[in-house]
Amino acid sequence: MENRLKIIYQDYLHKIQQTKDLKSLDEIFLALFGKNGEITLATKEFPKLSKEELKVVAPLLAKVKAELEEAVTKRREEIKEEGYQKLSEEKLDLTPVELPREKGHLHVITTFEEETVGLFQKLGFQRYDAPQIDSDDFNFSLLNIPEDHPARDLWDTLYLDSERFGIEPGKLLLRTHTSNSQVRIMREHQPPFRMMVLGRCFRYENLDARHEHTFEQFEIVYVDKGLSMANLQYLSEHLLKGIFGEEMKVRMTPGYYPFVEPGAGVDGLCIFCKGKGCKVCGGVGWLELAGAGMIHPTVLKNGGIDPKIYSGIAWGFGPFRMLMLKYGINDIRTFLSGNLKELLKYEGESK
Amino acid sequence: MKVSIGWLRELVKLNTSIEKTISSVDLKTIGVKEVTENFFELDMKGYNRADLLSLRGVAYEVAAITDSEVTFKEPQDSEFSWVKQKLPETPVKVETEENCPLYCIAKIEGLKVGHSSPNWVKKLADSGMRSVNNVADVTNLVMLEYGQPTHAFDAERVKDQTLIVRMADTGEELITLDNKKRILEPTDMVIADPQKSVGLAGVMGGKDSEISDNTTTILLEAAIFNPTTIRRTAGRFNLPSEASKRFQHGLTKVRLLQAVEAAIKMYKNLGGKLTAITIIDHSQEQAKEIEVSHQKLNSLIGVDIKPDFVQSSLEKLHFQVEKVGESWKVTPPYWRQDVEIEADVIEEAARMYGYENIPPKKLTGELPQKIDQGLFEFISKLKQTLVDTGLDEIQTYSFFSTQVLKNFEVPKERLLKVANPMSAETEYLRVRIAPNLVEKVAENLKAFKEVGVFEVGKVYLPMESGPSEKYVLSITLVDETTNPLRKLFSIWQKVSADLGLKVTVEEGEQDAREKVVFHPTRFIKLMVNGQDVGRLGEIHPRIINRFGVEKRVAMLEIALEQL
Repeated sequence: MENRLKIIYQDYLHKIQQTKDLKSLDEIFLALFGKNGEITLATKEFPKLSKEELKVVAPLLAKVKAELEEAVTKRREEIKEEGYQKLSEEKLDLTPVELPREKGHLHVITTFEEETVGLFQKLGFQRYDAPQIDSDDFNFSLLNIPEDHPARDLWDTLYLDSERFGIEPGKLLLRTHTSNSQVRIMREHQPPFRMMVLGRCFRYENLDARHEHTFEQFEIVYVDKGLSMANLQYLSEHLLKGIFGEEMKVRMTPGYYPFVEPGAGVDGLCIFCKGKGCKVCGGVGWLELAGAGMIHPTVLKNGGIDPKIYSGIAWGFGPFRMLMLKYGINDIRTFLSGNLKELLKYEGESK
Repeated sequence: MKVSIGWLRELVKLNTSIEKTISSVDLKTIGVKEVTENFFELDMKGYNRADLLSLRGVAYEVAAITDSEVTFKEPQDSEFSWVKQKLPETPVKVETEENCPLYCIAKIEGLKVGHSSPNWVKKLADSGMRSVNNVADVTNLVMLEYGQPTHAFDAERVKDQTLIVRMADTGEELITLDNKKRILEPTDMVIADPQKSVGLAGVMGGKDSEISDNTTTILLEAAIFNPTTIRRTAGRFNLPSEASKRFQHGLTKVRLLQAVEAAIKMYKNLGGKLTAITIIDHSQEQAKEIEVSHQKLNSLIGVDIKPDFVQSSLEKLHFQVEKVGESWKVTPPYWRQDVEIEADVIEEAARMYGYENIPPKKLTGELPQKIDQGLFEFISKLKQTLVDTGLDEIQTYSFFSTQVLKNFEVPKERLLKVANPMSAETEYLRVRIAPNLVEKVAENLKAFKEVGVFEVGKVYLPMESGPSEKYVLSITLVDETTNPLRKLFSIWQKVSADLGLKVTVEEGEQDAREKVVFHPTRFIKLMVNGQDVGRLGEIHPRIINRFGVEKRVAMLEIALEQL
């Protein structure tokens, strides 16, 4: 047995080193460690051996096995590396090929967001882009959310390592909401304006089926003379009926966001039970789908707008949640999973 | 805040069923999270209504929205037990007035620690708290009813029975009630005796001075602490508690004195006796008078609400209202510290009217000036054109995963870093999208033979001047050939032609980083007007192999703003 192992070792080590391609190397690996491989068979003979023999053979086998495995791995890397070296012999070849007729698919988020944007474009709203990396000022302080205010509990925040830019820690962050656009819009544009802001936001959130640290928000920032909560109700109905159909019922309830006053939650009649009460809506018959309010006078002032002359509406929702309800998607992680098998189920339905 | 239904009924003579009451709370006050036969829970996350952190506050609110009456009457100052008798002071010193505007210590002797009555145990349980013993339970029951946290120190464990409110020394140590050693900083406020700290003010008591089975004399503390100081300390030690929550939301002197009086009475019923009291008061509370215009109110709500309705609604909420011409002078009750400006009062009127009764009103007014929508329109067209060539759109995280960082040998110093990531998977922001697409292509190859995906999104760059973000398009493609770049290039030419892009291609030298990432020859630069805007190439198989993929993978990445 001892001899046999030594022969296997020398034999195969030589073969491994002589191998020129990965396919032969795979064959050698099987010949050693496969179901009927030399090493596998040798192990099976252990019960026949005496105790004395085993004392010598067992450690030897372990050693032979480990060394051959390592030799295969090493040779595999070498062959690959030889292959990589040959890449420079391949030519840059851009000869045109015929493209398939079959179309691909937009992400369900894109389809939905374009639909939403279309609904509000009809009302004269225009898109505005706000940065995703922003200062504490635009994301919080100027929105009437001072540092150390209990309301900050609403937003668990991801901060950037900002000292390399000479910025004090905690002052540079990943925006937690699209509301970071509000004061920017006010400072850049004269009222009246009707803006919509769309895009990625971030929260300090551990992932599970219901929680994402990266998500989309859609928000309206609308300033004019004489805007009211009745307009807010109109906007809510406009969107929710547009998405879920004319039979959708919409109501407002009191809500608190520091940058609006009065503040409102926007409920839609539960799309599953139509108001009777079910598991999804927790028995109340309504689902909270959006948050809104009349822009707080302090925020208007921070944006350089006189709250005695103008009033403003801020209104927003999370497209992920809306889509989960619309398509019955159970896992919020689906959207950014890149898993085509899953994502392709939802594309096209709203077209 | 869990509202005990039985307890609420003690405080309000409800004119309606409990079901209707809860639904009114949901519609007119605050979202209700959970309802059981014993309690309903108010969704207080981030909410500014400190009054709803007390059952008395909830009782006032419920009475107002259901047209009911509260059963209790608030005592006059002259009725407090320490006013009616002459008592000595107990030694107290406040060294940090700005952090502790009001501090009260009542000494109660003759107590015997035992179990609480079933009624107390149920009230605590309904409110989501656990009964400890009768002496400690009083502090929690008072906090729940009045919203004012109180704390009982075992007087025998406080040296010289002397309490000092001060900021901690650097490195000072304290073992808190949960048996953990806390290393303090000068931003933490402590309650101390002349030798050492005995509690973390407003956050958690100290282990040493905890009520034990043998306690007979207590020093009962009721205080108003600076909310910011409490929030910082509670946040740093990750010690959110029922008490610290209330300190952070803000407290009032009126309620504090009522709470102390209530606790003294409860201790009296347990056989205790008030023998000394000290109240150090630097608080400055002023009633706010807010002017509310009827015209503004109607214009902000968008409904014509009759003046009488506004006035009676506010009065039900215990606001003092005085009509002056077409306006009112309004003073909120002391427990509504959240009401500060006209818009706050308008919200009160709106919710009493019922948000659900506000009808929709079409948008009027001229359409605003057009602003440039070019980038958004371009992105939208671009995506559609890409889909027309057979590619699928995906969206990936704004971070580089640990797998991407490792397999692509990404130099981390060139990335923006998150200071407080949830995990290593969200520590670095992406500076390109293609690596994320490669990761996803590798996963999708388990289900598909060919994968062609694109993403349009932002990348995040650490520029000299600070972080910068820009939109890029990235495409990654695997087909059944050993040169997928041919197909990708054909796609790009079609997209370019369809959108009329003026992008030219140029063969060029690879820099050190590109030598790692790209195939040595299958690599070209994308240029617009002589400006370098992107790359098209095959990703180096060494990198691809690390993802467990043996096929060849082509990619394109191009900055959109210059196109």
